Amino acid sequence: MLISVNWLRDYVDIPDSVDVRALAERLTITTAEVEGVEQIKTDAKGLIAARIVSVDPVEGKPNLKKVELDLGGKSANVVSAAPVLRVDELVVFAPPGASTAETGKIESTTVADLPSEGMIPPGSAIGIPASDKDAIFCPPSMKPGDAIDADMLEDWVIEIDNKSITHRPDLWGHYGIAREVAAILGKPLKPYPVTNLERLGDKKLPEVPITIDDADRSPRYSALKMTGVRAQAAPLWMQTRLGHVGLRPIDCLVDLTNYIMADLGQPMHAFDGSKIDCIEVGLANDGDTFTTLDGVERKLSNEALMIQSDRKSVALAGIMGGLESEVAEETQTILLESANFEASGIRKTCAALGLRTDASARFEKSLDPNNTVLSIQRFVHLASAEFPELQMASRLSDAYPKKLADISVQVDPQHVAKTMGHPVDENQMTDILTAIGFGVESKKGKLHVSVPSYRATKDISIAADILEEIARNVGYDNITPQLPEVQVRHFAANPQHIVERNALRAFCMGLGYSEVHLYIWYDEDWLKRLNFKPAAGPVLVNPAAAGQEQLRCSLMPGLLLAADRNRFHAEAFKLCEVGTVFKKGPDSKNQSRHLGLISAKRGKGGDDGLFAAIKGDLESWAWQTLGCGLNYEHASKDSTNPWTHENKTANVVANGITIGTVSVCPLALRKNIDEHLSAWSIAWAEINLDLLHDFKVDSKSLRRVPEYPEVEMDFSLLIDAGSPYATVNENLARFDDPLLRRVTYVGAYEGKSVPTGKRSLTYRVLFGSPERTLAEEDVNAVKASFEKHIGGCGYELRR
Amino acid sequence: MDVGELQITLDKLYNDAQCDLAATNSLDELRSVRSKYLGKTGSVGSLMGTIKDYPPQQRGEVGKTLNSANKAIQELVNEHTERIGSAEVAADAATSTAFDPTLPGERSRLGSVHPVTAVQWEVEAVFERLGFTIEAGPEMESDYYNFEALNIPQMHPARDLQDTFWLKNGMLLRTQTSPVQIRAMEKFGAPLRCIVPGRCFRYETIDASHENTFHQVEGLMIDRNVSIANLIAVMKLLLNEVLQREFEIRLRPGYFPFVEPGFELDIACLICNGKGCATCKRTGWLELLPCGMVHPNVLNAGGVDANEYGGFAFGLGLTRLAMMKFGIRDIRVVNSGDLRNLVHPERWAGPVIVDKG
Repeated sequence: MLISVNWLRDYVDIPDSVDVRALAERLTITTAEVEGVEQIKTDAKGLIAARIVSVDPVEGKPNLKKVELDLGGKSANVVSAAPVLRVDELVVFAPPGASTAETGKIESTTVADLPSEGMIPPGSAIGIPASDKDAIFCPPSMKPGDAIDADMLEDWVIEIDNKSITHRPDLWGHYGIAREVAAILGKPLKPYPVTNLERLGDKKLPEVPITIDDADRSPRYSALKMTGVRAQAAPLWMQTRLGHVGLRPIDCLVDLTNYIMADLGQPMHAFDGSKIDCIEVGLANDGDTFTTLDGVERKLSNEALMIQSDRKSVALAGIMGGLESEVAEETQTILLESANFEASGIRKTCAALGLRTDASARFEKSLDPNNTVLSIQRFVHLASAEFPELQMASRLSDAYPKKLADISVQVDPQHVAKTMGHPVDENQMTDILTAIGFGVESKKGKLHVSVPSYRATKDISIAADILEEIARNVGYDNITPQLPEVQVRHFAANPQHIVERNALRAFCMGLGYSEVHLYIWYDEDWLKRLNFKPAAGPVLVNPAAAGQEQLRCSLMPGLLLAADRNRFHAEAFKLCEVGTVFKKGPDSKNQSRHLGLISAKRGKGGDDGLFAAIKGDLESWAWQTLGCGLNYEHASKDSTNPWTHENKTANVVANGITIGTVSVCPLALRKNIDEHLSAWSIAWAEINLDLLHDFKVDSKSLRRVPEYPEVEMDFSLLIDAGSPYATVNENLARFDDPLLRRVTYVGAYEGKSVPTGKRSLTYRVLFGSPERTLAEEDVNAVKASFEKHIGGCGYELRR
Repeated sequence: MDVGELQITLDKLYNDAQCDLAATNSLDELRSVRSKYLGKTGSVGSLMGTIKDYPPQQRGEVGKTLNSANKAIQELVNEHTERIGSAEVAADAATSTAFDPTLPGERSRLGSVHPVTAVQWEVEAVFERLGFTIEAGPEMESDYYNFEALNIPQMHPARDLQDTFWLKNGMLLRTQTSPVQIRAMEKFGAPLRCIVPGRCFRYETIDASHENTFHQVEGLMIDRNVSIANLIAVMKLLLNEVLQREFEIRLRPGYFPFVEPGFELDIACLICNGKGCATCKRTGWLELLPCGMVHPNVLNAGGVDANEYGGFAFGLGLTRLAMMKFGIRDIRVVNSGDLRNLVHPERWAGPVIVDKG
């Protein structure tokens, strides 16, 4: 929202010594964020009003007009490019010798072979950029030759971030901002200039009948009928100010309502009074249509609040008037609406229609219902200066079925100072609150604060709100930072946090993985390339893009996408993601945190190596952070996803719990993604981290160095290639001898010197006794006994 | 061969050994020279085997002769062993242009955490040192925790489709980490000090500075005497530690339903040091984190007595902070999974010699 400093000066004395930028900075700190400050410098000199006597075309130049002007006692001929020039009306004119910053000094010249003694300057030259090339028309109260006051053209404009005032309906007009500025400067706020209609005897006039069907949606509706208005230009000072705050001057009536909207924040609407006698406020019927004054026919729902007259819709309440009842060139009577509408209803209707206006933006903020009457009084005040024949044709009619409750809040000054962490006394608090319109009464050490209506619609209701008013006016920059004094308390560690941090530390800081963050929803196009149809998971109502409705139930599709992206730039890489995966069902429990790993390498046939390496990485992580090793169970093919290999797949088991899967990407999948990936090897693992919360590193697991020397021997077993490692282990574990200390796995071998169909597994066996050093006979005996056991299991020893 | 001839042979062998040993440069060479003369089948060694061929009365003298020759050569070997040993020590210590100690090391591939994680860990470390616990909460969240309990009324604009990802099952993707404020209060009660790093989602069009998926860290401190002055001090400490610089900060009014009063915390622009530039829209300030004193309704929703306890809360954009810290200009790289953007090239590819961006 744009704020004109000239406008503010109507309501508060801003000394010339005050730097506007510094003032804007204070406004940011205490009230609302200022996004920019701009000085409007037109440097206009010698401008006058001139009456248009005649307008003639210029031959061969359709954009130019030959204009004769009456300058008051003398005339001038100019050639003008202004698109609209009406005979008999007054325009702002720059005679030879006049100047503005934009046009420079004006001199008599020749345009299109015609003499041009001056210039009808465009609006932009005098600070009304919204008017573009248009001439600026003067009100009929001016006479040809009248000088234009150059001072009012010079201004400063402060831009306030609209987002920072969404909770402050009072700040959507200059008067509200002026109230804050007055408090900042320690100056009084001048009373709002209005005309007292009762003194004009309006009570003798008839009432405008107002019926409100829905008081919740329309708590207040005020109206006034007036005659004696006509189409004419608004006063130049008003046009200038509107121009400075980005509103385009149109016509005195429209400009007046716009001016009051920017002044008090209260939107108003002027109906053509000859077409409307009464007002009914109620909901539309589903499917009704209504043509708004922008000429668009709109389809309504039964949630749209309408203004009707004799059951005929005349306005979309709080949003936009209707085309039919709009004021026109010949309008002499108007019915002025100034109403209060409930915020969320307006917002919903705007959203449904896709239509937002300056008026609806204000109603969405919960406006002060007292402003309906105030703004009508203000309108009369301003309009009577412009329309000498203005007469009231009705009394000020006011339906106010849902009164705003008075709010009074009790605050404890000591608590306020303590919560601020800054010494403020009761008098200071009272001064601050009074300056911004609050009523304060001190009773028994407590302040009883009554909230003005313009702050009471939703903004302020509790003691903390009053605290904010005090604190922001003290200035947050005046509060000295102070670290808190606390009660020490122990919090049990959050296992999710610990498990995740440990996983990232192990994989990304020790094992060479690079962490990535990927989207939590699937992308349909990508799933098609994977040839994957996910099981039903949660589905978004409003996805970021079509085809991105499904939330992920595995990290792998995303990691595969990342792998496909990175393969262009690296020969080998390892990716890791810790993220959420989802299950169907409306419960926050239907999600878990997973760890996903991918290890990819250019070159065919590297699967087995990567598979072994990724398992090795998992084991390193498990030992470092879970305090246990891992076992693998040969998993049967998971037919639900295409990234699991038919055969090269294992369940990852820790402490007897299956915590995830490790596998390699089948060639079929890699080919589906991209033919080039057939020349890559990819292994992956996905672990459910939620299953690890209770794992504890066993601090008793370290063993003593034996007192007597132990004997270590390697045994290589030839076993059938199809016989799994786990079975061999089980068989070996059945060997029982008091001298056996430990059996560990060394490695597997297939190839030269191992017969086809066989595999060699090497184990290291440790013999020893806690009581004595073994004699050679002991060792030979236990060795023979172990070899016998091996034979008994049906395994051959490889010599 | 008589004894005299033997002596001549041995003298010759001694001379030969002397020459051979002088030519040795390594212990290996030395060993082979030694065995050439003194080994069982060596020149002297094999002569030892001829003692039995001499008449018994000569055998003593022959033996003596052979032994002293053997001993003499062994002494030569010893001398040269020492010579070569010290030469090796000297060579090891000698400077050599062939060796460049300044070459980079040979390393196994380095991993890397995501820039957001790196910043997150720094923030966590600061707060752990202040005695805050680190909490976590679900990304698929209920309306109650994400909005209602946080004092965001039914009709608040934040609930509009345009801001929130809604799920057909009635849940939503959390728009902020703030729901964990309530969950943490329910879990621990008061007093409470926690931070909650995590992912959040907003229904927003993606461009260079907007993402629909981003990280925040929530902070919550509840105790008996928590003040605005405390909030400012903790925020200042956090930013100075994480950005490793002393910063000017400013607090100004900001409106968020779950705090009262609410603030926007700005820091002096990192690019222009507060002078005003394009990044800070000429204001000299960067809006960094919304914060405030916890609204009594929120305390009550978390089961904490708002008459006894108060506190502050803040929500720091971790993604934004990571972008500032690591100079990431386009937010879209954050969720791209593209390592060229996420990993420092030196970390990824090895030493960088020329880097022109």
